[in-house]
Amino acid sequence: MSGNVAQPIQAATLAERWYVPAEIAALRVWLPFAALVNAFISGGEALRGNDAALFAGLGAGALLIALRGLLPDGARRFPLWRRTAGRALATAMLLSGALFPLWRDFSLYDLWAVSWLVVPAGLSLYWLSAGISGTWCAGACDARMAESGLARNRRLGPRLEAFALHTFLIHAAALVVAPVVWIVDVAVSPGNILGGAIFDAFSLEHFRAVLGGEAFWLWTRNSLVVALGTTLAGLLLAIPAGYAFSRYQFAGRKGAMFVFMLIQMFPGIIILVPYFMVMKTLGLLNTSIGLIIAYSVTALPLCVWMLKGFFDAVPRALEEAALLDGCNRAQVFFFVVLPLSLPAVAITALFSFLTAWNEFLLALVFNTANDAYTLPVGLASMIPATGQLWGDFAAASIIVSIPVVALFMLFQRSLIQGISAGGVKA
Amino acid sequence: MAKPRPLEAVLASFAALLLGCAAVHAQQLTQQWTPQLTIAATEAAYRQIRIEVEFIPGAEIAGFEIWFADRDFAATDEAELHSTVLVADTSALERVGENIAFDRCWSDGLPIHRDAAGYPVVGFGTSSWSCSLSGMNPGVDQWIAVVPIGADGAPLVDSASLQPVPGRTDAADERTPPPDTRPVLYALSLVVLATASLLIILRWRDAARGRSKSRLAHIYVAPALIALATLTFYPILYGIWLAFTNADQSRLGDEAWVGLANFAAIFTGPGVGRVTLFTLVWAVSNVLAHVGLGLALALALNRPGLRGRMVYRTILLLPWAIPGYISVLAWNGMLQPDGLVNGLLGTGIDFFAGADSARAVVILVNIWLGVPFMMMVFSGALQALPGNMYEAAEIDGVSHLDQFRHLTLPNLKGTLVPVSLLGFIWTFNSFNTIYLLTQGNPHSGFGEPGATDTLITHVFAVAFEYGQYGVAAAWSVLIFALLIGLSWIYLKRTRVMEAAA
Repeated sequence: MSGNVAQPIQAATLAERWYVPAEIAALRVWLPFAALVNAFISGGEALRGNDAALFAGLGAGALLIALRGLLPDGARRFPLWRRTAGRALATAMLLSGALFPLWRDFSLYDLWAVSWLVVPAGLSLYWLSAGISGTWCAGACDARMAESGLARNRRLGPRLEAFALHTFLIHAAALVVAPVVWIVDVAVSPGNILGGAIFDAFSLEHFRAVLGGEAFWLWTRNSLVVALGTTLAGLLLAIPAGYAFSRYQFAGRKGAMFVFMLIQMFPGIIILVPYFMVMKTLGLLNTSIGLIIAYSVTALPLCVWMLKGFFDAVPRALEEAALLDGCNRAQVFFFVVLPLSLPAVAITALFSFLTAWNEFLLALVFNTANDAYTLPVGLASMIPATGQLWGDFAAASIIVSIPVVALFMLFQRSLIQGISAGGVKA
Repeated sequence: MAKPRPLEAVLASFAALLLGCAAVHAQQLTQQWTPQLTIAATEAAYRQIRIEVEFIPGAEIAGFEIWFADRDFAATDEAELHSTVLVADTSALERVGENIAFDRCWSDGLPIHRDAAGYPVVGFGTSSWSCSLSGMNPGVDQWIAVVPIGADGAPLVDSASLQPVPGRTDAADERTPPPDTRPVLYALSLVVLATASLLIILRWRDAARGRSKSRLAHIYVAPALIALATLTFYPILYGIWLAFTNADQSRLGDEAWVGLANFAAIFTGPGVGRVTLFTLVWAVSNVLAHVGLGLALALALNRPGLRGRMVYRTILLLPWAIPGYISVLAWNGMLQPDGLVNGLLGTGIDFFAGADSARAVVILVNIWLGVPFMMMVFSGALQALPGNMYEAAEIDGVSHLDQFRHLTLPNLKGTLVPVSLLGFIWTFNSFNTIYLLTQGNPHSGFGEPGATDTLITHVFAVAFEYGQYGVAAAWSVLIFALLIGLSWIYLKRTRVMEAAA
């Protein structure tokens, strides 16, 4: 904020100076953005080797920038010729965009690309032709009119903003959903076709193949044993440690906490080779025990940090009351603290379960025999360089993902809170 | 033909040699350039097949390419390039038989010459060489062809009608003598004892200071710390020891000290700089995109009055909720030449074929995977900001952009900085995306890091595809040092920034 002593400006001038119709303000932001998207589209066209579309995209971008150039900066007066030129430009863009489908086979992608020319052009034409911009640019804008215009902006502004927000979010959501739709399509389509029309044929053959085969059930069993074992072992190690870090001041506390934080930062691959050799020497390759040991230790630091955060939130007054009532420390822990923090323990358990359920690298290295595979390695093994069973893979993926995604979504808030407490704040 | 028959093959090669000598030069051009390839009796060494190659020294041959596949092939594009042997003047070169991790080669019965880049070189006057090819799948026929190349690198024979020779190594995958578990068990017990005694000492010091309340603390921490010590600290120390030994897949437990040889091999080997650079590019570009997009999405989701917030939030969380390996494999399928992406674009691009497009693809897919985490972290941080701050700004007529720059961003700095560091380390360490999309391909040569290999995936390949544990451990030590260095620089920088602020 400038600290200048305000000049006595007449209310009328002030309102006129501040007033720009919300549509024009929005176009000033949107048009360069649309031009940017068109430049990206041109880049894609260059990849495809489609020169005509490359230049069309670049041309569209240039026209959008030109149109933006015709709009006034700030609340300067908007000469009539500029408005007329802008409308002509927008009309030309609209027409060329509408003609586009005539000279090439039209795909879904093309529709999207053209919409980034047609929609901005259409909106520009509509808003430049609307009465409000006419009166505004004709200079017929007195104080009263500017004030009512500002009131109108307050109503319209959030709506235009919402339009831009939804455009952005829908694009993001479409990118996120695309692989999901694709997997469902491949799973329910006969054969192993990766492209082509979506949902054009229906067959449950892949689900039947996966659920009818032995391998999938074997992998599921291995994964369940490993994930449940990891959860149990991890909790047994992490709960006391998390509690001690939360409640006690003891020699070596800081050092130990620092070590727990440091360990999470270093890549598993560093210890993978020695780990592998130790497991091999001890004969723990291709066993569930080997993976359980490895997982419960790798997930341990984050679990300890998560639990420490949760225990910190349990009020101490209750413990002190129990101590006064004659409980010893261990009784306090088992009969007061643990029941109170059961939800937190459940979240930590879920976290270690999900980590073990989804882990790939260690499972890949430690389990080389097909019947010792966990689900991640088993599913990945369906897609080697030759004989790719995409359909079966997709069907198995859906079966594996649904419970995991459901659990994650149900407990997302607490999970995210716990992980950011463990990972970020540490 | 399941097994190589050395005697017959040797006889055949002699016959061909005589034939080649007697033939008229012009008519037998191809014949002369076709080297006679013999599969020698396989060595006992793990995953190695020894080939012997005889050829008529000719000025046109500038080198040989060794191609292999696990099935019969006619053209080089159905096989994988294993390595290249050059023909050149060897007077200034030294005889270095064994190269980093890959092949041992001989000419004239002695270890072969190597040029500065590590390529094996055969002298002009020599008419035969032999190599032990590493990395051969055991127990199945491996088909090997040797293609002579000219000075321009182009093959001198028709590279679409090769006649590869089958060979096989039968050294079994788990060819371990009953392992001696005692050293490992001794070491593990030692670590357990050391950790336990450390805790007892700390406990005793607490007691000496009269902190009676924390009597149980050390017992509570003990299981976790002992587990961490045995399964993290001990492997790290063991890994550092391995880095100085010749441990490999055929030597388990009886590795010998080789000093800095593994490190020397890494630094003189091809592609060290390239793989390090790509790792940094990979980590930095991912973190920038994760933070940028995550922040943008979090800002969008936190706009007051947004309709369908929960729907968007749930959808945008999917990349985090779906198991990562599944999404990466799904992208792999979508990006195939006949996949969905090419279908939508109406093209048939093989995104994984070219080095640059493969790099772009792995980075883009990893961006897709990592945004939701950042989005949720920033969402949480934004919700913690006081709302009346923005109301005040609104009343003062501060534009949205200025609100973001002067209110949101400075207030988010406390989250932004550590979360970026965390993101950098996670991306640096990530393995699944690259392994499941490209496995580091495209490769320029066997044993070299591929175009999309990061340090992590390359170490994996060195250890578990080439079986070179010692070299892999040396790589791990270097990565460890690099990460410590980067974290240290980062911490110093932020401290300087904090001091300046």
